[in-house]
Amino acid sequence: MKASKKIILLGHFGVGKSSLIRQFVENTFTSDYKVTIGVHILKKEIKIAADETISLIIWDLEGYDDIRKTRASYLLGTHGFIYVFDVTRPATFENLKDDITYLTDQYPNTPLKVVGNKADLVTKSYLKENKDIFSVSPNFFTSAKTGDKVDDMFIALAKELVK
Amino acid sequence: MTEADKLALLKDLLLTDDRAYAESIHKKIKALEEIINEQKKLSHKVDPIIDQRLEEFIEEIPETLGPTITEALAEQIKNSKDQVVEALYPIMGKMIKKYISQEISLLTERINKQLEDSFSAKSWKRKFKSWFGGVREEELLLSELSSISQVEQVLVIEKNSGLLIGQYAKTETIDKDMISGMLTAIKSFVEDAFNEKGQNLELIEYELYHIHIQNFVSFYIAVAISGEYNLIFKNKIQDIIFNFTDNFLNLFDDLSEIKEKDITNELEFYFSTNESL
Repeated sequence: MKASKKIILLGHFGVGKSSLIRQFVENTFTSDYKVTIGVHILKKEIKIAADETISLIIWDLEGYDDIRKTRASYLLGTHGFIYVFDVTRPATFENLKDDITYLTDQYPNTPLKVVGNKADLVTKSYLKENKDIFSVSPNFFTSAKTGDKVDDMFIALAKELVK
Repeated sequence: MTEADKLALLKDLLLTDDRAYAESIHKKIKALEEIINEQKKLSHKVDPIIDQRLEEFIEEIPETLGPTITEALAEQIKNSKDQVVEALYPIMGKMIKKYISQEISLLTERINKQLEDSFSAKSWKRKFKSWFGGVREEELLLSELSSISQVEQVLVIEKNSGLLIGQYAKTETIDKDMISGMLTAIKSFVEDAFNEKGQNLELIEYELYHIHIQNFVSFYIAVAISGEYNLIFKNKIQDIIFNFTDNFLNLFDDLSEIKEKDITNELEFYFSTNESL
């Protein structure tokens, strides 16, 4: 059985949304930062069970400082959200709680994963000791650069989408 | 010692330095003369060798430096595509214009010949149409020739999510799911940008292709067309789309119930049986 699901990555500029997608879809990473304008769409098929394949249509939206500025029409019909912030830049998670509340209020039945990216730039002990600085506990700490936890995060969301 | 001897001795004493100085200058002049003569001799011997080597070098340039230059040029073109296109555009544009005008002349010639030679029923029909309609027969023939349009691809797309419900394509293109997503994003952007409720994007043009978009409540149908897209063709496409939705899609309450393969078969039935569009 094969199903198609639309997932959207949200978050501030430069938190690594495009890099996470590129790492997941193409297994590549580049440190050259190219800002996403509008939207970029990529696709990856993953096998989540012996007889079940899911086709993820991943919408990579341009970053916004305020989630309310995101084009609402792009969010229509979304099956899952991934909210990404940069663990090294407080500006990208200082409104984390408000942003997550906004999303869960607007799309109460849509699964959401909160992801702290660029985890390779800090130590694991730092993340443990400073977990309180993130107002919402992230589901994953990922590194688009090393690929750490990237696949796990997308697969976890995909499995949730077909429940 | 005579007076003369004394004078000679005095001369020796007084002029010794001057003589040594004169001798050293003489030696230097001699050395310079030798260098100049030597160079002249050398250039007589060396010049032909250099000339010959230069000629050989020029002859060998394509072989020795050719691959390096080609590689460097290829790399440069690869890295500066935009600049290359910008530089070539005026030249290419002129070439294309020249080619097209030549082809049109050839076409006109062929049409004229065909008109002179032809006495078929179709030709007579065209002649009558031309006489009574006041349109030149060549123009009528040209419009007949240019009205060849083809449906290349049909996509049925869920309006909100942009997910592909079903599709039919004559030839394989890039990923249809990504096309559906991008079309939906473009549609959303244009419709949002003009902020007109109830207004929909209905046509996208790119070079020789047109994408006709037919909007419905929960989905839309995008038809990629190659060739001419005019009002008559638009009406025909719309008729086919409405037949397809009325006779097939509207039979289902939930579009996700329909198998993609069934939609493809139906689309093929409706669109491939209308090849004469």
